[in-house]
Amino acid sequence: MITVENLTKRYGGTTAVHDVSFTVQPGSITGFLGPNGAGKSTTLRMLTGLTPPTSGTATITGKRYADLPNPGRVVGVMLDAAAQHPGRTGRETLLLNASLLGVPKGRADEMLEAVGLTDAAKRRVGQYSLGMRQRLGIASALLGDPAVLILDEPANGMDPEGIRWMRGLLHDFAARGGTVILSSHLLGEVQATVDRLVVIGGGRIVADCSLEELLAGTGTLVRGLDPIGLNQALTAAGLDLEPLQDGALRVDATAEQVGRAAAAAGQILLELRESDGAGLEDLFFQLTTPTAVAA
Amino acid sequence: MTTVTDIAPTAPAKHRAEVATALPPARGQSFLKLVTIELRKSVNTRSGRVLIAAILLIAAVAITWQLTHLPEGPAGFDGFLGAASTGVMLILPVIGVMAMTSEWTQRTALTTFTLSPRRVRVQLAKFVSAIVLSVVVMTAVVLLAFAGTALAGAVTDHTTSYGGLGGQLAGAYLTVALNVVMGAAFGAVIAQTAVAILVYFIAPTAWSLAGPALFKDNANWLDVFGAFGRIAERDLHGMLPETLTAIGVWIVVPTIVGLWASSRREVK
Repeated sequence: MITVENLTKRYGGTTAVHDVSFTVQPGSITGFLGPNGAGKSTTLRMLTGLTPPTSGTATITGKRYADLPNPGRVVGVMLDAAAQHPGRTGRETLLLNASLLGVPKGRADEMLEAVGLTDAAKRRVGQYSLGMRQRLGIASALLGDPAVLILDEPANGMDPEGIRWMRGLLHDFAARGGTVILSSHLLGEVQATVDRLVVIGGGRIVADCSLEELLAGTGTLVRGLDPIGLNQALTAAGLDLEPLQDGALRVDATAEQVGRAAAAAGQILLELRESDGAGLEDLFFQLTTPTAVAA
Repeated sequence: MTTVTDIAPTAPAKHRAEVATALPPARGQSFLKLVTIELRKSVNTRSGRVLIAAILLIAAVAITWQLTHLPEGPAGFDGFLGAASTGVMLILPVIGVMAMTSEWTQRTALTTFTLSPRRVRVQLAKFVSAIVLSVVVMTAVVLLAFAGTALAGAVTDHTTSYGGLGGQLAGAYLTVALNVVMGAAFGAVIAQTAVAILVYFIAPTAWSLAGPALFKDNANWLDVFGAFGRIAERDLHGMLPETLTAIGVWIVVPTIVGLWASSRREVK
């Protein structure tokens, strides 16, 4: 359980994070989205005690991060996988953290196996690829068997196999009652992974709801054999539509309404589905453009 | 067209396998644990090991040179110790500096201060670990010096002399510990490895060269090497206030400023 209340961070005259509040419930995966410079990383750093807030509180399982006696046993944090000493081996990095967390050495080897780094364990981190460092970071975050995970760009540098594995791992973690907040720019992957979204823009929260709520009503995508005729038919039926670049139309209506309108005009349809993919990306821009934020 | 197979590295539930319930209960991080971890960090990287190996290698080379260029008279242990300590005095403080700065330069501060958010404790543990490391390395060098002296007695026709052994050893350990602590103090206040090392080598030396010319005897108040020397001899020559001031300015103040700065510094 993560609770953020009225968190604010000012640097001199600039307010990087303004009165941010949200909650992340156990058993759920929350995506934390926002453009670069919106205050995402600053908020995550305030959550993990790395940046002192100007005002407001952030608690994890009811306690401030710095008040947890051994935070790694409660919260697994991975903010930047590249921030590992290149001169240490992967195994030694995990053994070091295991010792600090008070977990047995075997746990480090288990985590190496869980992330698929057993073969590379004895090599220095400096020789790892970005994806391998990312996996090492995840292994380190999971080392203390935490109840909460705070991840910044966890899929960064991963190949599709790694991304799918990460998704499975996070779903399993949440299914067992864990709390996850992850920040990512890969909107497609976010959509496949999270239950809830918190969107931050210009230092303020601009959306905080479930993924379904956010995407509901983004409409229907339809493609017809005769694009112009279809456009006319749907407009005549009184439906709001928006032509997309590839000749398809996004209609602000249910699939049934579109189908009926097209059928009434004798239009042949080639494709009719929920327009989800474009939805999150467009919503993201709608929510985080400066005019929207100023409102 | 290839068949699509789900080739996840391992069973997805592995990270919370049965052993999860067998993890020992979470306890706080004792200061001793923090010191042990810092000690481990200074030797588990390639750069750390290379530095220590360099110190021991220089010591071994110096002792060998001393063996082959013995002056007239008994082969004194102090000669061997002095020769072997050069490498120690030059390089160990660098390890002290790096103990404080490498977290910021290598960005491992992100992990360190996430796992141990109470930064002042961690920084103090780094100081203690730097002192412990210096004692261990110095002991290895002392043993090499003993070996050199004994070898001189056995192989050449010099007699050996261990006169004033206690004083020499105390002096050596004290000097190296003080230098390492000063290195760490500089590393605390200048969080960049290269700059901190440079300033460490230049600033106190520059003062001991320029100070007396500019301030005559008053330069003693800030002459840290003089202070170290007096402490190593365990004879302050009645200059207690000067000694304390020098230590205060060159070690205590940078340490306090460094600890305060690193507690407030943003970790990126």
